[in-house]
Amino acid sequence: MKINTIGKLCILATVGSMATTSAIADTSGKRIALSNNYAGNSWRQAMLTSWDKVGSAAVADGVVAAADAFTTAENQVTEQAAQIQNLILQGYDAIVINAASPEGLNGAVKEACDAGVVVVSFDGIVTEPCAYRIAVDFKQMGKVQVEYLADRLSDGGNLLEIRGLAGVFVDDEISAGIHAGVEENAQFEIQGSVHGDWAQDVAQKAVAGILPSLPEIKAVVTQGGDGYGAAQAFKAAGRPTPIIVMGNRHDELTWWKEQKDASGYETMSVSIAPGVSTLAFWVAQQVLDGNSVPQDLTVPFLEITQDTLEESLANTQAGGVANVEYTLDDSIAVITGN
Amino acid sequence: MSPLTSLPQKPWIWAWIGAILMWLIIMSVSGIVAGGQVMSAAASFGTFFVIVAIGQMFVITLGPGNVDLSIPACITLSATLAMKFMNGDPNLLLPGFLISLSVGLVIGTLNFLLILLLRIPPIIATLSASFLYQSTAIWSNRGLRVKPPEVLGDFAVSKILGVPILTIVVLILSVAMAFTLHRTRFGLSVLAVGQNQKAAKLAGIRVERVRFLTYLMYAVLAAICGFFLAGFSGGAALNMGEQYLLMSIAVVVIGGTSVAGGDANLTGLWGASLFIFLLVSMLNTLGLSAGYRLIVTGAIIVGIIAISGRKSAI
Repeated sequence: MKINTIGKLCILATVGSMATTSAIADTSGKRIALSNNYAGNSWRQAMLTSWDKVGSAAVADGVVAAADAFTTAENQVTEQAAQIQNLILQGYDAIVINAASPEGLNGAVKEACDAGVVVVSFDGIVTEPCAYRIAVDFKQMGKVQVEYLADRLSDGGNLLEIRGLAGVFVDDEISAGIHAGVEENAQFEIQGSVHGDWAQDVAQKAVAGILPSLPEIKAVVTQGGDGYGAAQAFKAAGRPTPIIVMGNRHDELTWWKEQKDASGYETMSVSIAPGVSTLAFWVAQQVLDGNSVPQDLTVPFLEITQDTLEESLANTQAGGVANVEYTLDDSIAVITGN
Repeated sequence: MSPLTSLPQKPWIWAWIGAILMWLIIMSVSGIVAGGQVMSAAASFGTFFVIVAIGQMFVITLGPGNVDLSIPACITLSATLAMKFMNGDPNLLLPGFLISLSVGLVIGTLNFLLILLLRIPPIIATLSASFLYQSTAIWSNRGLRVKPPEVLGDFAVSKILGVPILTIVVLILSVAMAFTLHRTRFGLSVLAVGQNQKAAKLAGIRVERVRFLTYLMYAVLAAICGFFLAGFSGGAALNMGEQYLLMSIAVVVIGGTSVAGGDANLTGLWGASLFIFLLVSMLNTLGLSAGYRLIVTGAIIVGIIAISGRKSAI
């Protein structure tokens, strides 16, 4: 039994060192913390689960000494700033942040940098120059939807836009991308715009309210977590189902699959994989390891097409969101690719 | 005084005037047919506001300081546990509903125990307890969205002659609750406690028992709302209760219930629920950007409260 375990460890160590050469020796004593501002939806829950999975495996393999996750209760800048200060005092070597605000945490982030702590922000990034940023090209995420529709609908037509949470950076960016796409494809016109707060029930309600006042809608451009609600609203209003761009949620993909099987319905789905937290983890590890990492990285978003629908659906946890977790090698590829 | 001239003094009239005004504006822009469809949608979604607002109205009527902020968490926890248990199986509909009800009973009891035994003010007690409920919801299912049994989903969205069945059910519930408020010993006790707690106590009303029943009733109504809302929107989500926190209070206040307690009515709840849905729909229809939408929504709500809240001189 004992020999067996030691044997396993040896194999693990050998495999590990083959893959990562110097990494193990240099960061095995380092502690990485995740400072997360919000956990109240399925995307964030998946993000935390991915972090825990990859982080605890890294700890077990001796790559790092700790990979602890901390989430603030109230999604507030002051609370997260205080949390980051605590993490500095607790002596973490790196802090990975999903930030409540792009600017609001800069003071605390600067303090961390000055204390010699590596700061990596992702998804909700911070603007403080000393931090690393793993940004998503949200504008492009909006634009690809219109480009896809331009392919599908050569005559163009009326669009309904479902936005996210008003006042949030991500919402402005995706919407700007959608509008930029519409400007380039003048055959489309956005007839209405509602806020769905990235929640199916909110989107359903907002769409149900505006739908009676709209002319025929050819397609619905979305931000994720709102496509299924939109579909329900169209159904309840007795209207034909337009092309609704989906956002990688399991219920959205399931609905798409049902429509595809029933009537050959075609659409696309795009969102960010919650596993981007694991990319941030490896970036922090690489910086601690002394490797050169660009200050600004861009992470690709996860796009699901008509052809990859079945495969993505099969790989997505029921009720969850389509995900990709990064290995160290994947992460090095993203780092060097930039 | 004739009924017609006394109408402007009814505190609930302003919510209805607002709702009808919004409806007329939508119809003038989009036509009569669209108006009918919007009203049908307003009835669908307004129903969920009303279920929750009935409970909040009773709580607020208990007097200053009484408000329940644990409602979003109660909605989420009730829906999450029930959907997870049923797991889409229509045979488990009744036990699932009972789970929802028990969540309401447990939360209502816990809230009241915090308020009574630990002497914590209701706002703080219910807000802090809501973290407990929300965390339980997160812990129990990690935000995974479980589909409701099909029969529940179908029921939640079904309509008779354009009127949602759920709306009819809640209308009947509203009449029953109006009767409870104005004609039963319990309802009159709630009003009396809200008007003057000491006087009510001296008059022989068991104040704490009345408060307990009120908080309990509210939590149960919120739990029922969560159950049907999850059926209506295709599953439970961790943030499904979020918008019911402020809305439950706004609907009560716009509906003409006194924030100071002791004076309540149910007619206004329906007016206010329809008004809020139609207001947002109208602003969306006119294509105002989110910033303006929020400003206009805020200004109109403040305006209505200012008008309806003015005590008449007579």
